[in-house]
Order: sequence, then C-alpha cells, then structure tokens
Amino acid sequence: MVGRRFILNAGRTSKQGQQINVGKDHDEYNAIVETLIMHPDDMKELGIRAGGSVRLRSEYGGEAVFRCQEGKVPAGMIFVPYGPPTCRLMGSVTDGTGMPTSKGWEVEVEPLLDQPKG
Amino acid sequence: MGGKVSCTLGEVKNRADLIIYWGGNPAECHPRHFTKYTLTQKGRYIPNGRKDRTMVLVDIRETPSAKAADIFLQVRPAKDFEVITVLRALIKGHAVDPELAAETGLSMEQLQDLADRMKKARFGVLFFGMGLSMTRGKHMNSAALLTLAAELNAYTKFVAMPMRGHGNVTGGDVIMRWTTGYPFGVSLSRGYPRFNPGEFSTIDLLIRGDCDAALILGADPGATMPQPAIDHLARIPTIVLDPKVTHTSRLARVHFTTAATGISAPGTVYRMDEIPLPLRPALKSPYPTDEEIVHRIYQAVAAKPPLPPAVMLSQATM
Repeated sequence: MVGRRFILNAGRTSKQGQQINVGKDHDEYNAIVETLIMHPDDMKELGIRAGGSVRLRSEYGGEAVFRCQEGKVPAGMIFVPYGPPTCRLMGSVTDGTGMPTSKGWEVEVEPLLDQPKG
Repeated sequence: MGGKVSCTLGEVKNRADLIIYWGGNPAECHPRHFTKYTLTQKGRYIPNGRKDRTMVLVDIRETPSAKAADIFLQVRPAKDFEVITVLRALIKGHAVDPELAAETGLSMEQLQDLADRMKKARFGVLFFGMGLSMTRGKHMNSAALLTLAAELNAYTKFVAMPMRGHGNVTGGDVIMRWTTGYPFGVSLSRGYPRFNPGEFSTIDLLIRGDCDAALILGADPGATMPQPAIDHLARIPTIVLDPKVTHTSRLARVHFTTAATGISAPGTVYRMDEIPLPLRPALKSPYPTDEEIVHRIYQAVAAKPPLPPAVMLSQATM
C-alpha cells in the first residue's frame, strides 16, 4: 500500500438496524453500508468533499468504493457500518479464535475523481 | 485465573451503582439497555435510579453512547489490553510507569480515578462489546477484562457481561454448551464433540473449503463474513432459512421463507445474561417455522438408505 493509511473501524448504527427490519434488498440499506465517516481535517488533507467517492484498499488485499461523509471520528480513523463492502476488506485469518479481525485494521484511502463541486 | 463472574440483568437493575461499557455502543446497538436494565431504572437498592449510578464509557471513538456517560475515556485503537493491565496493577497498588500508561491515550489521573471508582463501588458491572473482542488482541482482551472483574471481587462485588449482538446469539452458545460442553467451533464428525476454534469454527471451515454443504439458520454470513468465506458458500449447496431475502439467500441454492420467531412463530430466546425467555407469537404466518423445516429435513435424511461402508485403502489395493 502506498497511499495515506487509516484505521478502519467497522460497526453498527441504529439507522442500519432499522433498515435491516425493512430488508437488506433496498437502495437505502446499500447507501448506509456504502458510506464511510471520516474526520473533517483528513478529508480536507486528501481533497475529499462530502459525498465524494473514495476507494479503500485493505492490508489484506481487498478493495471497495464508498461515499465519504465527515463525522465525529478521531483523525486517522474511518467508521463504516458492516455490510458487503466491509466483507471485501476484512482479513480471513482468525488467529485460531474463529473470528476475523473485523475492527481496527489498516486501509489505504484513494480519492476518486467524481468529487462534488462547490 | 479463568471464568466469568456474572449476574442477571435484574441484579444490575437492582444493585449496580457503577456501570462501565467497554468497546460497545448501546445507544445505537442495544437501544433499550439503558432504560430497561442499567441506567435510568430505579432498583431495590438504587432508589433514585440514574442519580445513584455512575456510567463510564471506554471506547476508541466518541459514539452517541458518550452522551449518556458521566465519564468518557477515549483509548487509542488496539490499546485496550494495556489499559486493562494498568487498571489491574493500580487496583492492587502496584507502581505503573506513567510513560507506558500514556501510550494508551489516557493519563495516569484518569486511570487512577477509574481504578478508585471500581474499588469503591458497591456493585460494579463491566459490559464489553465487539470493540474489545473483535479488535487486535481478541480473546486475550476479553480474558483480561474478565480477570479484572474477577480480581475486583477481592474489594467489592464486580461482574462482567458481554454485550451480545444479534437476536438469540446467546441461545446458540448456551444450547451448544449444555448439549456438547462447548459454546461454538464444535465438530461432531467423529460421533462425539470436539472443540477447536480456528479448526472447526465456521469461517475457518469455509475459507479452507473443508465443508461441501451448508445450512444457515437465522444468520446472514453473506453480509458479515470475509469474502473468501462468502465465495465458498456460493460454490457449495447452501440452504438458507430466513423470513427475508438476504445476501446469503441470494447466493444459496435453496431459500426457505420462514415465520419470524417471536412475531409469528413461538420459541425460546436467551437474553444476553443467559436467561431463557418464552416467546408467544402475536400473528399467524403462512410460512413454516425453522423448527418444522429442520425436522422435515431430518426425517427425509433419516428415510434415505445408509451410505455403503467406506472401503479401507488396504482392502482396495488387495
């Protein structure tokens, strides 16, 4: 990985929980799990605008594209609700525990060209 | 030291005056936890409810749960084990190097204050979430926290409880425990239970490609597991029982739509404190229950003629 590295902290949100009860087969659910939260200073440094797209590459080799929004996370950290995109990023090794490291692994962030103007 | 010092949520409601959430976000993930069991309820020995309780939140980011906390302690990512180790030392009165403690993201004053509060509490609870158990350190973090709770019983009453996630995940563990002796990662392939996480656990089996069929009940691994495990589920005959269309049902060969347990199907669920609760359905469903489908699959398998005995290699080459 060569770009700016972040700690990816995947988790759950109440919005996501509500949408699961409606169904995962909806655009609303996909929008939730395809949107990441980043510290405003990090977004500024990387030239990412709110609603702009970024590609994440995992230290384990997977990659996924997300919409980026600013929010309350420490600098150097990204928060994303669990979903199919985070499945592509997390590692497969369970260290003998039966569970993969599904919180706090390293990703590289690459801003894509479709940043909103304004 | 091993084991878990625990209690029921009823005891928490009636007795706990210090409530610590570690690596969890109950405001979003367990929205009724504060109001039903831990913070705002008045209890037998907590007559003033919220005023009689102190809530501490330990996490790597300021989640919406921080608004409910009296004290928010923001630790550096993957430093939970170090924070717990420092607390264990401070509680026993051992000296701690302030520089080493500073690496956790917390000051010595914050750590000493938390250690003092833990020792002075009448009844303390450590609720821990995936922020502790699924980050680097994993089971070692959980074991350290359970040890901290156990050791605090030399000074006061203290318990620990995991903040279990999906519906009735505790039930799965409890049933496996009293039927096989182990909570998960159990192989019955030799006719008796063997426990070995990393070998017999679901993700490891799928990633290695060890299994050639899968039956998924009440879960959506297609939206939660690492991609190589999902890819293997798509390769093998996967059968899904779920009331809704999910990512897993889309990749499965067969999807049975089932009645929703607790809404249109009866059953028993285990609360996170391992208390079994009977469910009475409020509605009728046109769909069968999980239990009915599994029973019918079992009957169909039992009616099939047995497989011929395996030929020993030595006999085959004779």
